Amino acid sequence: MTQLIFNLFNGVIIGAFYALMALGLSLILNLSGVINFAHGGFLALGAYLAYSLMPHIGFWGALVAAPLLTGLLGIAIEWLLIRRTYGRDPLYSLLLTFGLAFIFEDVSRYIWGAQSVPYQIPALLSRPLSLSYFFITGYRVFMVALVALAVAALYLLLTRTRIGIRIRAGTHDLATVATLGVNVRLLRSVNFGLGVYLAGLAGVLAAGQLGLQPTIGTSLIMPSFVAIIVGGLGSLPGTLLGGILIGVASGITSVYFASATEAVIYVMMALVLLVRPRGLLGEEGRLQ
Amino acid sequence: MKALEAQGLQTYYGKSHILDSVTLEVGEGEVVALLGRNGAGKTTTLRSIVGLTPPRLGSVRIFGEAVTGWPPYRIAALGVGYVPEGRRIFGNLTLDENLLVPVARPGPWTIERVYQLFPRLSERRENKGRQLSGGEQEMLAIARALLLNPRLLLLDEPSQGLAPLIVQDVFKIIGAMRAEGISVLLVEQNVRAAVAVADRAYVLDDGRIVYEGAAAALGADEARVRTLAGASAEKWEAVD
Ligand SMILES: Nc1ncnc2c1ncn2[C@@H]1O[C@H](COP(=O)(O)OP(=O)(O)OP(=O)(O)O)[C@@H](O)[C@H]1O
Ligand SMILES: [Mg+2]
Repeated sequence: MTQLIFNLFNGVIIGAFYALMALGLSLILNLSGVINFAHGGFLALGAYLAYSLMPHIGFWGALVAAPLLTGLLGIAIEWLLIRRTYGRDPLYSLLLTFGLAFIFEDVSRYIWGAQSVPYQIPALLSRPLSLSYFFITGYRVFMVALVALAVAALYLLLTRTRIGIRIRAGTHDLATVATLGVNVRLLRSVNFGLGVYLAGLAGVLAAGQLGLQPTIGTSLIMPSFVAIIVGGLGSLPGTLLGGILIGVASGITSVYFASATEAVIYVMMALVLLVRPRGLLGEEGRLQ
Repeated sequence: MKALEAQGLQTYYGKSHILDSVTLEVGEGEVVALLGRNGAGKTTTLRSIVGLTPPRLGSVRIFGEAVTGWPPYRIAALGVGYVPEGRRIFGNLTLDENLLVPVARPGPWTIERVYQLFPRLSERRENKGRQLSGGEQEMLAIARALLLNPRLLLLDEPSQGLAPLIVQDVFKIIGAMRAEGISVLLVEQNVRAAVAVADRAYVLDDGRIVYEGAAAALGADEARVRTLAGASAEKWEAVD
């Protein structure tokens, strides 16, 4: 029983990471039509930046600064490279972001080494909250809470601010948004930065749980794509749901059928697509 | 100064040549109708003007400013309101949210004022765009463009698919725009109503301007309208 609760809880945590990654990927895909394979690279970068900043500004300072810096770098890369692929064959952006992913990984290896680095989390957060459920450490609760906070902030941004409303409108019909006086080049850059910010935040948090090595992003990116498909293309609530569902599914599977922990998410994706080709909450016609 | 001067527009979709040397103008405060049968190139003309499908050759001046090749948002910022064919409401946004998308320019039109102009809309503020009726969507598309406080308003078949009573409302609004001093370029299949509200008219056929003159003169010549604009008898009788 304790084992099941442990894995369920673990599943929620992993699911929260998938969701955070996948929300950023979804934002970018929905507005710009770019499948950002470099997203895992941005996640790793966020984590390494936090690692390098921590001795100077502490964990909390790094938690604030590293995702912001990652987001700014994202905007710079969008401005320099990615926007040149808009309106072209999707193959261009696929190849570009795929290449960027390799570059990020190698640069991380070059600067911080191929081995994992000691990533310190505050002692305050590493204590278990209760003796009988020793695995529920403060850090795990903290991660879930912070992901929930980030999702809530994203929700408010997208529904309560003009820029967020324009992002959602642009997801639906970007050309019409442009004819209403909105600088859609800038809108796409800001949106890309926002998506990458979420990747950076996921990185800072994930490194405290999974350890930090150059491949940290690689293990999270495929499940994040699966989360988007399961939740349904074009739907951010779907993406969130998809992320948590596949996290929990792999958490439960690891109790009963440990060797299928990774395969189960793909099985889930196949099942969802068979029953509901547009994903759980996907818009009609997005996939066709 | 003219509100709009389009000179020799040559517009393509990929390799297909759609507009062939289209030249037209709209004077300040003038209402101009752009007529023509299906596929004549009316929508393409408007898209060329607002920057969505920039012409390969030719020039566009808006209030004296040479805007050829400008991105759509900069053209809109000059005070060009565009009500596209098929309305293109943001169906995933509520009506209130739809009205927050435009980059409002200062002027008499505010969200409160457009809700006063369209009381039907103010009753449905929380509804999603896709839940609105065709007439409500048309009103919303016009309201959205008015928030730019346009000096030039381009409307693409605003009466398409609407019930006759709603069509009357739409044309009343166009009359009201004229009273506000807004210059209007109106694309319509509803020829009779369009020539009744317009000062001048152009007829496009197969990407070329084939008629240009006073709207009243065109309106008086029913046979001519049928051959030029391809308007069917029913469309001719449709309003009032
Ligand atoms: N995106 C496109 N790609 C290729 N060809 C197009 C495209 N849009 C329109 N066309 C073609 O361009 C021509 C002019 O189309 P346009 O939409 O401007 O006509 P229209 O006068 O607005 O017609 P309607 O009254 O049906 O709205 C047509 O032959 C049409 O088939
Ligand atoms: Mg048309």
